[in-house]
Amino acid sequence: MNKSVLEELLYKVEKPSRYIGKEINSVSKNLDKIAVRFGFAFPDIYEVGMSHLGMHILYNLLNQQEDIYCERIFAPWTDMEEQLRSQHLPLFTLETHSAVKDLDFIGFTLQYELSYTNIINMLDMGQIPIRSKDRREADPFIIAGGPCAYNPEPLAEIADIFVIGEAEEVILEIVEAYKQWKLENKERSSFLERIVNIPGVYIPVFYQALYDKTGKLTEFLPIQEEYPKEITKRIIENLDEVYYPERVIVPFMDIVHDRAMVEVFRGCTRGCRFCQAGMIYRPLRERSIDKVKSIAHELIKSTGYEELSLASLSTSDYSELEVLVKHLIQQHGEEKVGISLPSLRLDSFSMELLEEIQKVRKTGLTFAPEAGTQRLRDVINKGVTEEDLLGTVEKAFSMGWSNIKLYFMIGLPTETYEDLDGIADLAHRVIDTYYKVPKEKRNKGLTVSISTSSFVPKAFTPFQWEAQNTVEDIKAKQNYLKNKLRHKNIKYSYHQAETSYMEGVFARGDRRVGQALIKAWEMGCKFDGWNDFFNYDLWMRAFEECGIDPNFYTARTREYDERLPWDHIQTGIRKQFLINESEKAKAGILTQDCRLNCTGCGINQGLIGGVC
Amino acid sequence: MYRIRARYTKTDMMKFISHLDLVRLMQRAFRRAEIPLVFSKGFNPHPKLTFATALSVGVSSEGEYLDVEIKDFIDLDHFKARVNQELPDGMRILQCKYLEQKSESIMAIIEYSSYLVHVKLEKEVPEKLITEHINHFLSQKEILAHKKPGKRNNEKEKEINIRTYINQLELFSHENNEVMLKMILATGSRGNLKPEVVIQALARQAQIPLDLEKSRIHRLELYTTENGKMMTPIS
Repeated sequence: MNKSVLEELLYKVEKPSRYIGKEINSVSKNLDKIAVRFGFAFPDIYEVGMSHLGMHILYNLLNQQEDIYCERIFAPWTDMEEQLRSQHLPLFTLETHSAVKDLDFIGFTLQYELSYTNIINMLDMGQIPIRSKDRREADPFIIAGGPCAYNPEPLAEIADIFVIGEAEEVILEIVEAYKQWKLENKERSSFLERIVNIPGVYIPVFYQALYDKTGKLTEFLPIQEEYPKEITKRIIENLDEVYYPERVIVPFMDIVHDRAMVEVFRGCTRGCRFCQAGMIYRPLRERSIDKVKSIAHELIKSTGYEELSLASLSTSDYSELEVLVKHLIQQHGEEKVGISLPSLRLDSFSMELLEEIQKVRKTGLTFAPEAGTQRLRDVINKGVTEEDLLGTVEKAFSMGWSNIKLYFMIGLPTETYEDLDGIADLAHRVIDTYYKVPKEKRNKGLTVSISTSSFVPKAFTPFQWEAQNTVEDIKAKQNYLKNKLRHKNIKYSYHQAETSYMEGVFARGDRRVGQALIKAWEMGCKFDGWNDFFNYDLWMRAFEECGIDPNFYTARTREYDERLPWDHIQTGIRKQFLINESEKAKAGILTQDCRLNCTGCGINQGLIGGVC
Repeated sequence: MYRIRARYTKTDMMKFISHLDLVRLMQRAFRRAEIPLVFSKGFNPHPKLTFATALSVGVSSEGEYLDVEIKDFIDLDHFKARVNQELPDGMRILQCKYLEQKSESIMAIIEYSSYLVHVKLEKEVPEKLITEHINHFLSQKEILAHKKPGKRNNEKEKEINIRTYINQLELFSHENNEVMLKMILATGSRGNLKPEVVIQALARQAQIPLDLEKSRIHRLELYTTENGKMMTPIS
C-alpha cells in the first residue's frame, strides 16, 4: 500500500497510531535482501497485541537473522476494517504496509480461545483462503502457536502448521526447511512433509479423528506411518543461552501493558490445579540474576520506559528476587524507573519488597486468593490461608494503600454456596482489617475491588475431565454475590457468563467445533473477547446450524479413560499425575510446591532427563 | 535547575499520534538520550515537561514548543543532537535555548498560531472571487460558529463569535481546484480557535465550495506578544 493511500485511510479512523508502524526499535529492512518474509500476527487490536511479551521475543529473534524479515500484523479495529473492505484493500503489515498475502508465513499466537474468529477474519481481510485445504502455492503458510495451541483441534482446518511449546528454536528450524523447499520448487504439501518430523511441529491435515456413535473421540491417527503419533512440546533448556531482546518496540499509543518486561523464569512449581500455564510450561527454569540484570539495564536504556516488569507466572518465587529488586532500585531508582511485580504472593516477604519498590513509584495491589474458603482453596491447591491474606492486607493498609483488588474464580469443581459466602466474608474481613489499622497510619477512601472470573476447565490440567458450570449456574452465583457484596467500600465486577461458556467449548473442543467457528464468523462474529461485540445468540445459532451441541464439550464429566482431543500432544506431564491430582482435589488434599520435593509429574523423565 | 525551550516538528506520520502519545514519546526520548531530567514529587513521579499547546490528530506542524527542566547544565548542541537521535522520523528539534530563571512557561505565553490549510474546491472558482469572498468574510464584525463542547464538565455546544479570534486570513496559493489558505488564529488560554472551524464557517458563509473532508492543516509557528508585537517563543 503506498503512503498516500495509507494516509487517506488514517484520516478516516479513530486511532490512526495503531497502524502507522515506525515506532522506536521497530525493524526496517531492505526487501531485496530478504529470503523469507514472516508475519507475526496477533488476533486482537494493537494495544492488546503489543502488550504480549512473546511477540517481542519472536519478532526480534527472527529479525536477528539477516535474511528473514518479521513484520507485525494486528486485527484492525472495526472502523479500519470497514475502510479496507469498502475500498477492497487487503489487510497490511505494520512495518512495510504490505499485503499480508505477500508474506511466506503468517504466525498467529493463540492466547485466548475467543480470539479465534479474529484469526479467520484477518485471513479473510488478507485475501487468504480461511481453510488450509483451499490455500495454493502463492499463499502464505499459516502457523499457530501459544498456550491455546496445546489443544489445537478447533483450528485444525484453518492452520497449516502448529508449533507446540516454546518457539525460539523450532521457528528457525521451520524457516530453514522452508528455504530448502523453496529452492526445490515443489508443491505445498511437500513442505509440510519436510517439517512433520521436526519435534514440536504438528501438521493437522496429516491426522484423522474417528468418533463413536455417542460422539466421543475413539481414535486419532496419522494418515501415514512416518508421521509422529505424538507431538512433543518444545522447551528451551537454558534461559541464559536463549535469545532475549535487549531492544523492544516502544509504542506511540498507550497500550495495555506499557512497560519493559524481563522474563525471570519459565514454568511454575506451585501446582494450582486449575492453572493450565502451571502445567504446560513445566519444568521450572530460572534466568540467572546476572543475565536478568544485564537485560533489564539494556532494556531501560534502549526504550526509555519508566517501568520495568519482572515477568513470570509467580514472580515472588524467583530465588534471588530480593537481591534483584534492591539492585534495580539502586541502579535505576534515581531515574524514577518503577519496578512492577505481577502475580504477587500473599506473604510478608513480598510486602517488604513492595515497601522498597513503592519508594520509587507506587503500584496497584492485586491479590488472587482464587477461592473463598480454605476447603475450596485446598481443592484447587492454592496454598494460601485467610491469615496470609489478612496479615498482608493489614500491612498494605498501614503502608498507605487503600485500594485493594482481590481476584476469585467461581464455578470451581466442588464449589457450593458456602464457598461464595466465603468470598463475601473475606471481603468484609478485609474491610474490618482496614478499620483496625490506626487512623494516622492508613489512607482515606477504602475500596476493595472484588472481581470474579468464571472457571473454565482447560486441557492438561487435573480438572480437564470436569464439567463446567452452565451459564445459568454462573449467573445465579454472580447475582448471589452481587447481593452479598453490597457495601460502600466494595466494588464487585465479574466476567460475562456466556463468554466463559464459549471459551470452554473451544478450550476442550475437538475438530468438529471448527465448523461452528467458521459458521459463527460467517454470521458476523468477531472480537468475541470484547463484551460489546460478543453475540451469544449468533453463536448458538451457528452451533445449531452445524448440528453441534456445545454442551457436549462443557457440561459433561469425562471418564479418565475417554480419549481426549488433545491426547496426541505430549507436554511431558504424565496423565496419571493429572489423575492423581484430580483425585486429591476431590479429597481436598494439598500437593506441595515441587521446589521442596519432586511431586512426580513426569517432566524430568521424558522431556528433559534428570533433575528439574 | 535549568530550563530549556525547544522548537520541534511533528510531521509526516507523526501527525497521527495524539497529544498524550506525544507527551509519552518525548519523556521516553529524553530518557533514552540521557538528559538529566527533573522529576515531580509524589507517588507517580514524572519528568517536568511543559508543552505549548495540543495539536489535533492529523495536523502536522513545524512550530511546536516545549520547556523541559534539567538538573545539570548541558551543551545545547549536544542536547539537540542527542534528542534528535532518539526521535522517530517526522519529529526533530529545530532550535533550542536556555530560559531565564523567572520566565513564564511556554503554556502561559502562547497567543497565536499560524497555519497553512490546504483545501480542495468542489468546483472551479476564479482566484479574484475567492479573495473577494475572504475579504467580505473578514469585513464582518461578527462571525458566528459552533464551538465544539469540551470533553470535561459536560459543556454544551455553543455559538461564539470567531471574528475576534481571527488575526489574519488570506489566500496563499490557488491552482488546479486546490487552495492554500494562510491564517493566524488565537491560540492558548486567552482564546483558542481551530482552523477547522474557520474553514467550516468560510464554506458555509462565504460561499466558497470547499471540500471540508479533504482539508489538510499544517501549523507553521506559534507566537507570543511583546508590547503588542508578535514574537516567536524562542526569539
